[in-house]
Amino acid sequence: MKSRLASLVLLIAAIVVLALLPALVNNYWLRIATGALMWAGLACSWNMLGGYAGYINFGQSAFFGLGAYTSALLMGDPLGLPFFATIPAGIVVTAIFAIIIGAPTLRLRGAYFAIATWAFAEVLTQFVNVVGFTGGIGGLNLPPFLDERFFYFTMFAAAVLTYLVTWALFERSRFGLKVKALRDHEPAAEAMGINTALVKLQTFVLSAVTASVFGSIFAYWVTFINPKSVFGGDITDQMVVMVLLGGLGSLWGPAIGGVGLFVINRLLWMNWGDTAFYIAILGAAIVLVVLFLPNGIAGLFAKRPAESATVLDKAVDKLVGNGEGGHS
Amino acid sequence: MDLFLQTLLNGLLIGGVIATFTIGFQLTFGVLHVIDFAVGGWVVLGGYLAYYMAAELGLDGFLAIPVAFVLFGVIGYLIGPVLYNVRNSRTARPELMALALTFGLFTLLRGGMLTAWGFNTHSVPTALSGESLSIGPVIVPLIRVAAAAFAVAIAGGLFVFLYRTRYGLAIRATAESRQNAALMGVNIHRLSANVYGLYAGITAMAGVLMGAIYSVNPEVGLRYTLFAFFVAVLAGLGSVGGALVAALLLGVIEAFVSTYVGSSYSLLAIFATLFLVLLVSPRGILQRGL
Amino acid sequence: MFTSTRGFSRRRFLGGSAFALAAGALGMPFIRTARAQVPTFKAGVITSLSGDNILGGNLTKRGYDLWADAINAKGGVEVGGDRFKVEMFYGDDQSNPATGADAAERLIVQNEVDVLFGPYTSGSTIAVQPICQKYQVPMISGSAESPNVWKAKPEFNFGIIPAVDTTAGKSLAVLVKISNPTAKTIAVISVNEPFSKETGEGFRDGAKKAGLDLVAYELVPAEGDLTPVISKIAALKPDIVAVGGHEEPLINVVKTSKSLDFRPKALIMHYGVTDPAFAQALAADANGTCGVAVWLPSVPYKDDLFGTAKEFAEIAKKKSGHEPDYTEAACAASGLVFGDAIKRLGKKPALKPENRVALKDAIAETDIHTFYGPIKFEKDGNHYHDNIQPVPVLIQIQDGKTVAVGPKDAAAAALTYPLPTWK
Repeated sequence: MKSRLASLVLLIAAIVVLALLPALVNNYWLRIATGALMWAGLACSWNMLGGYAGYINFGQSAFFGLGAYTSALLMGDPLGLPFFATIPAGIVVTAIFAIIIGAPTLRLRGAYFAIATWAFAEVLTQFVNVVGFTGGIGGLNLPPFLDERFFYFTMFAAAVLTYLVTWALFERSRFGLKVKALRDHEPAAEAMGINTALVKLQTFVLSAVTASVFGSIFAYWVTFINPKSVFGGDITDQMVVMVLLGGLGSLWGPAIGGVGLFVINRLLWMNWGDTAFYIAILGAAIVLVVLFLPNGIAGLFAKRPAESATVLDKAVDKLVGNGEGGHS
Repeated sequence: MDLFLQTLLNGLLIGGVIATFTIGFQLTFGVLHVIDFAVGGWVVLGGYLAYYMAAELGLDGFLAIPVAFVLFGVIGYLIGPVLYNVRNSRTARPELMALALTFGLFTLLRGGMLTAWGFNTHSVPTALSGESLSIGPVIVPLIRVAAAAFAVAIAGGLFVFLYRTRYGLAIRATAESRQNAALMGVNIHRLSANVYGLYAGITAMAGVLMGAIYSVNPEVGLRYTLFAFFVAVLAGLGSVGGALVAALLLGVIEAFVSTYVGSSYSLLAIFATLFLVLLVSPRGILQRGL
Repeated sequence: MFTSTRGFSRRRFLGGSAFALAAGALGMPFIRTARAQVPTFKAGVITSLSGDNILGGNLTKRGYDLWADAINAKGGVEVGGDRFKVEMFYGDDQSNPATGADAAERLIVQNEVDVLFGPYTSGSTIAVQPICQKYQVPMISGSAESPNVWKAKPEFNFGIIPAVDTTAGKSLAVLVKISNPTAKTIAVISVNEPFSKETGEGFRDGAKKAGLDLVAYELVPAEGDLTPVISKIAALKPDIVAVGGHEEPLINVVKTSKSLDFRPKALIMHYGVTDPAFAQALAADANGTCGVAVWLPSVPYKDDLFGTAKEFAEIAKKKSGHEPDYTEAACAASGLVFGDAIKRLGKKPALKPENRVALKDAIAETDIHTFYGPIKFEKDGNHYHDNIQPVPVLIQIQDGKTVAVGPKDAAAAALTYPLPTWK
């Protein structure tokens, strides 16, 4: 009880500080904070499927890009829609794509699913490169709106909403239990009467539209997008690494990993940004965390590390006589 | 008709080139169950070794091939057990942590190479670079033939090693079941060191050829990782023979789409093919392991 | 495997050190370096110091630094009889437009720069423009060559290099004019990426004006293999092959063509040929390749700071060990534009916001002659605020060296045409 009260106080304090941030720091740090919130939200979106459902999506950037391009196209000529009208449009477009892509690919497992989603993201990138209405490789400009506070609060609201939804759905509802059950053992979950295909697809679509919302805000914020800047594989890579560093399958892991990695990257970049050496430091940091903090930073604070999941895995594997477990 | 034959040859040779750096990748996945993001890093390292041997010592690029095998084989041998430990650690998702480790390794290599060797693009000179042979109307680029021959030789050599030697049997047994192999007295720790060393050596040798066919700079690694992943999945992860077939298939698709549809659609066609194959045949075209 | 006690203590140790690291990192921004006693002008450089465009990014940085070093050696920029040194601040855009915008905001807000020197890539430049507009800080771009940069009429951005759509076509016309027998057909290959594609379009549109018959126009993905495209083009036997791309694909085009034993009568590329790394990587195979240069060390221009173009080249060579190319020259000339505008404006550092707007107006009125050539910015049209004064020079690599072959009054050697076969 005590620790729950403490974490509630901590949470409220964090939200108050974040809400007051624009009054405390200059525009540059506000911009960094906006970026950090975006990455915390994106990492959380990836974690919905990757952490809770155990499906590794290597193509998450596709949904980020879909949101960004939908907003850019609708806000530009000839429609010129207002920004907030384009977010739901992005959600609809992304949800349609996610259903079309998710229904067949979610039958795949492990690395096959991962690479199928990557292939899908590449198909989409190449498509945007080649066709005319997306502006091709030259990208799209959005009408510039240069209020740093507006974007900070929009990103803040989106991030808070993302974490609220994640908490409510994955940590506090039957839906979350179903998702975790299928992660821990899909055949067993199915045997228990869970419609795993439906639950997976719901999670996939939710994860996709979350990324899409951040894509819409990002496009308006940066005012210029091109295929590489919103569909690029490095966007997915960053989400994956952030989640792993923060703690896979936990609520706060992606927030810690997303904010931490983005801010550290920016600090390294500010201080040693005139050489490429910081890339090597970043690589070394990832290696060290994997070797010495395998449960992520959130694992440091967990009462019991996520080992229990594997123990369960192994026990079930033994029951069904699948000696290898893990991959496949 | 002439262009058709030339396109077919181009496609098969592109396939041979892609196969060179996919075979070792398949071996690692088959045995260690690790998706190695760093595959492109080993390719680039091999290319740089050959470039520096040529630039500093005036040696032909081909002479770098055995050196690359030994040097990066030893480095891989040292890294293998670390990767094995992570892959079999008691974390929630060890296969993901292993992937993250190789991603970190790849980033470290890329940053290190940028810092140490700069950002210029280099080319590896060899006796066959730029040489060609005319067979009727078809022009055969010899360096690519050498790469394709290398891929076939490595695949063949691996086949003999895996299916005709006792150690090969141990590797296959490990690929099938770590526990059972360990119970039969296989030293899995050393075996994983050997396999990763073999893979890093093979891939760096392929890198020498890539430096000769294309060019090398620290930023091109990701491209090789991308193709290795895709070919591996198309083939069925872990299948060495399948890698050869899948690489040829992708090469031929790329060549024909480029020539007859439009080169801007070539990658679109490749990725779409992969995506569709996965939907129809979820375990790759050959549907079997090592 | 790890025993649980070891795991625990290690975890605790790492937790502690991670916390210390985080605390240190958070503390960093609040440590401010002491202000210099004498006021200086602060200039921010945004460019690609990592990522795909790292080569060009470093070229631009070198160019901007050459100017800063030269002007500081003289005591600084002259304003109303006094001299003020220039302090340079750098921001890496990681070859990514969004990071470029972050860098601009940082340089303006944190470092309080008076002027920005623009990114290597056009994509980053476009993403930075709104930030310049927001804070009303002028940005001088010594590299961005895409026509898209100027279409939106950026009020605070100025370009030293003429957009590629003006230069690619013009130099193609020069090539046709001096080729003997006159070239009749052309195939264009361009990599489907920013700048490269626009270069290809420049060649494609220029082909018509030069009276050439366009037999193929191929866009290739950056990761694609070139053999199919080269074979297809070889079968069409064009007189000229024109290529839009950055250095790495350019090298691959030459290697692939040779391995397929295909050599057109002329091979023309745009940027990258003048970079010494190109000739170095290809050795003898680079010979005969034509390129477009907006500037060369042999051009007949000069100014007070750097002297003649040749003298500039020597200074640059002493610093980097390489002959400078036109991007480096244009970046160095960007500094000259700033120096001239601030001198006319007569305002001392640090500039107040309204003075930065006045500085922008002063830059817009630039009309100077430098070692790089004449600089004057367009006041309207599709190339708003771009300096389209320089006449592109057609160059060719001969015996490993870059020489001017056209137009006639700039030529230092005769064009090798048609190129000999590979064997």
